[in-house]
Amino acid sequence: MESLLVTQAINVAYEVLILAVLVLGLAVVMGLLNVLNIAHGEFVMMGAYTAYVIQKAGLPYLAAVPAAAVFCGLVGLAVERFLIRPLRYDPFDTLLATWGLGLLLRKLVELAFGRGFLSVEIPIPGSMDILGEAYPAYRLVLMIISVIVLGAVFVWYARAPTGSRIRAMVGNPALAEAVGIHTRQLARNTFVAGTAWAGVAGVMIAPLTPVEPFMGLTLIVNSFFALVIGGMGTVTGLFAGSGIIGGLQGVLSEAVSPTLAYISMLLLSILFLWQRPRGLFPRP
Amino acid sequence: MVSFLVRNGLILGLLILVPTFLGEFWAYQLGLYFLYALAAMGVGLAWGQAGILPLGQGMFVAIAAYLAAYGLFGFGVSPLAYFAIPLSALAAALFGLIFAIAIFRGRSEQGPSFSLITLALTLATFQVATTWASVTGGFNGLRNIPGLPGLSDFLDLYYLIAVVLGLAIAMVDYLVRAPIGALWRAVADNERRLAFLGYDVASLKASAFAIACGLAGLAGALYAPQQNLVTPDLAGFAFSGDLVVFAAVGGRTTVLGPVIGAIVVGVLSAELRDRFPWWEIVIALFFIVVVLRLPGGLMTLFAPLRRLQLARSPMPMPSLAPVKARIAAPCSVAFEEVRVRMGDVTILDGLSVETGDEGVLCVIGPNGAGKTSALNVMTGALPKRGGRIIIDGVDVLRPQPAAVARSGVGRKFQTPSVFSKLTIDQNLAIALWAGRWRGFDLLRPSLFGWTSPLLDEMRRRFGFLTAGGKPASDLSHGQRQILELTMALITEPRLLLLDEPCAGLSHEETAAVIDAIQWARGALNLRIIIIEHDMELVRRLADRVVVLHQGRFLADGSVEEVQGNPDVRAVYVGGSR
Repeated sequence: MESLLVTQAINVAYEVLILAVLVLGLAVVMGLLNVLNIAHGEFVMMGAYTAYVIQKAGLPYLAAVPAAAVFCGLVGLAVERFLIRPLRYDPFDTLLATWGLGLLLRKLVELAFGRGFLSVEIPIPGSMDILGEAYPAYRLVLMIISVIVLGAVFVWYARAPTGSRIRAMVGNPALAEAVGIHTRQLARNTFVAGTAWAGVAGVMIAPLTPVEPFMGLTLIVNSFFALVIGGMGTVTGLFAGSGIIGGLQGVLSEAVSPTLAYISMLLLSILFLWQRPRGLFPRP
Repeated sequence: MVSFLVRNGLILGLLILVPTFLGEFWAYQLGLYFLYALAAMGVGLAWGQAGILPLGQGMFVAIAAYLAAYGLFGFGVSPLAYFAIPLSALAAALFGLIFAIAIFRGRSEQGPSFSLITLALTLATFQVATTWASVTGGFNGLRNIPGLPGLSDFLDLYYLIAVVLGLAIAMVDYLVRAPIGALWRAVADNERRLAFLGYDVASLKASAFAIACGLAGLAGALYAPQQNLVTPDLAGFAFSGDLVVFAAVGGRTTVLGPVIGAIVVGVLSAELRDRFPWWEIVIALFFIVVVLRLPGGLMTLFAPLRRLQLARSPMPMPSLAPVKARIAAPCSVAFEEVRVRMGDVTILDGLSVETGDEGVLCVIGPNGAGKTSALNVMTGALPKRGGRIIIDGVDVLRPQPAAVARSGVGRKFQTPSVFSKLTIDQNLAIALWAGRWRGFDLLRPSLFGWTSPLLDEMRRRFGFLTAGGKPASDLSHGQRQILELTMALITEPRLLLLDEPCAGLSHEETAAVIDAIQWARGALNLRIIIIEHDMELVRRLADRVVVLHQGRFLADGSVEEVQGNPDVRAVYVGGSR
């Protein structure tokens, strides 16, 4: 019984960490730039397909990380130039435009790879012992990487001036421009960074999930509602939202059923959108 | 009225004659697309008119479809089965109404959060419909649903659906031209202005959404006998998304746009999906182009047809608006130790001030004194953190814009706030209806002809107000100031709040506005509170001047008294006290 608890606790921690990694890219785009990129899940999906292609080509799995970052970053660059910027980063219009973008990307990938599930082999096979319990090694490695990445982001955001420059730009673009911030480049770079990270996250999760054109949809729903609950634009919000959604999903799907976990998450999100649309820890 | 009947008669006739031209093969397919068109028309109504984008209309289609399926199972061949259709649609509309009122009540923000809630709800409905197999039939849905009794084949059902769609088009066409349609567009355009005229914005939005849900419900209720099958896919993310795409591609701002979008995209998809796999990419690209460049969608192509004048509404006959019941005495206001804070900034720091027996009260004070904030907290635009606000002797605990407006307080904002996408006449009409419409008035097009002596006088004074067909966005800054002042005046308030009414006006315009304000004050026995920096204007209008400084009351009296007050001189000139 005790051993089962340990495994379950690690599973829940895994859910939370992976969700936080997935949310990270969206938090940059949606939390900082106020762009409701509903096609964000499709960028994760494209990252996963990049991993598949790299693996099929016989290259080392690690090569997929820069490949996905570059590929998704380039697509993000084009999207920013031809979709987001012409709509002046308006939350509502970009929501609609990226809705169309999601349809487009799903369909393009479907034409290129077919509709079926592809599987990516786990690059680090085998398992490790944790407190006497065997746990898949790749998952553990992912968790460690996630902790490092999220910790680095936390420190960087608190210390580096880029964070406050982005906030200044979103708060008052004209004034930010006047004090010497190149808002156009900064916004573009921020957006591209968010999409590139989505690609990397796709590489990370590809071996553990069926890779198919519609995989982005479920991912975006979870990430999206994690941000809604946590609050946009703060690192605390990102962790709180991922913790609540990931934890709820992890615990309820182990204890009761995945369906109930999913419905509870939706109902909780509805409650937040209704009564506290800015989330737990919004940007002041 | 004649053009309305001709237009919608033509559409209905066309819908019924289609199988004669295209052959019966198409009747079955088209029947399905007509149902999509019904639901898409609802999306167009909520989104294109009232500005609320529903991302989960599939949920309402699904709910009505399951209900209708059970109705058809239960009644079998009894003619009572026909009741299942409208009742299921009505249930969807009622659910939508209750849901929307719950969400919109007490909230004025125009964010995407409503859209996201509808999205989350439809995702949840899909899960429930898939899991709750004992009721919904689970993933495979309810099968072998009987058709409607007496309809022998799909062609019969096609005619029924065509008639329902034709009538629904006529209903929506009527509504968007009626006063309620103008109010929906006003909600989308400037929700705050509408609330400050005294309208219940939440109910207006909820009414548009409920009708949209009713149309979705009608589509779902007819879907059950048309397909003989109801699956959870109706509540799926993809179907709700398709409905938004239909409305956008066809043109959300028009009645027929979503209908044409649903039919065109539906038919082309069915024809091209197998032979031409790139087809759906074309749809996605076109959708993106619509968002970027072509808000009118496919209907933009039909714009030249307007010259046929089938769509033009005749000018309604002018008629006198009903007299607004109002208390003759001006409205009094008292602030007692009112505090307002935003974050760490104290905006009002225990402000105590009240109106006396003067007619025009001018509020002055340096920038940041809290003048506009005092008006905002009184009208519910800012939350108060302490103290009491007493309007007409009643301690108002939590002022709400619409309630304050209904108690007789009119407000003109610092930067002119009008319905810029509506015409001058519509702007004025909406202000005139406020507090005067009763019962089903908002469905009567004759309301557009309403006028009042006060409005006539303002039109006489400011000639540009008679160019009624012009959109308000074409007006100059000064003209918009005057339009907003006129809108505030014709609601016949007992207290008028003016925030720098002459800012940005030319010398002549300023003189005319001062003249009009003085005239209106006499005509309405009205109290006016004016925030002003221009001392010349203050001297001409004020019966009493109140000076605020750093969120507190500093001094009051006549213009001369205030100007002679050493405290006032100190805060303005910065001298020592």
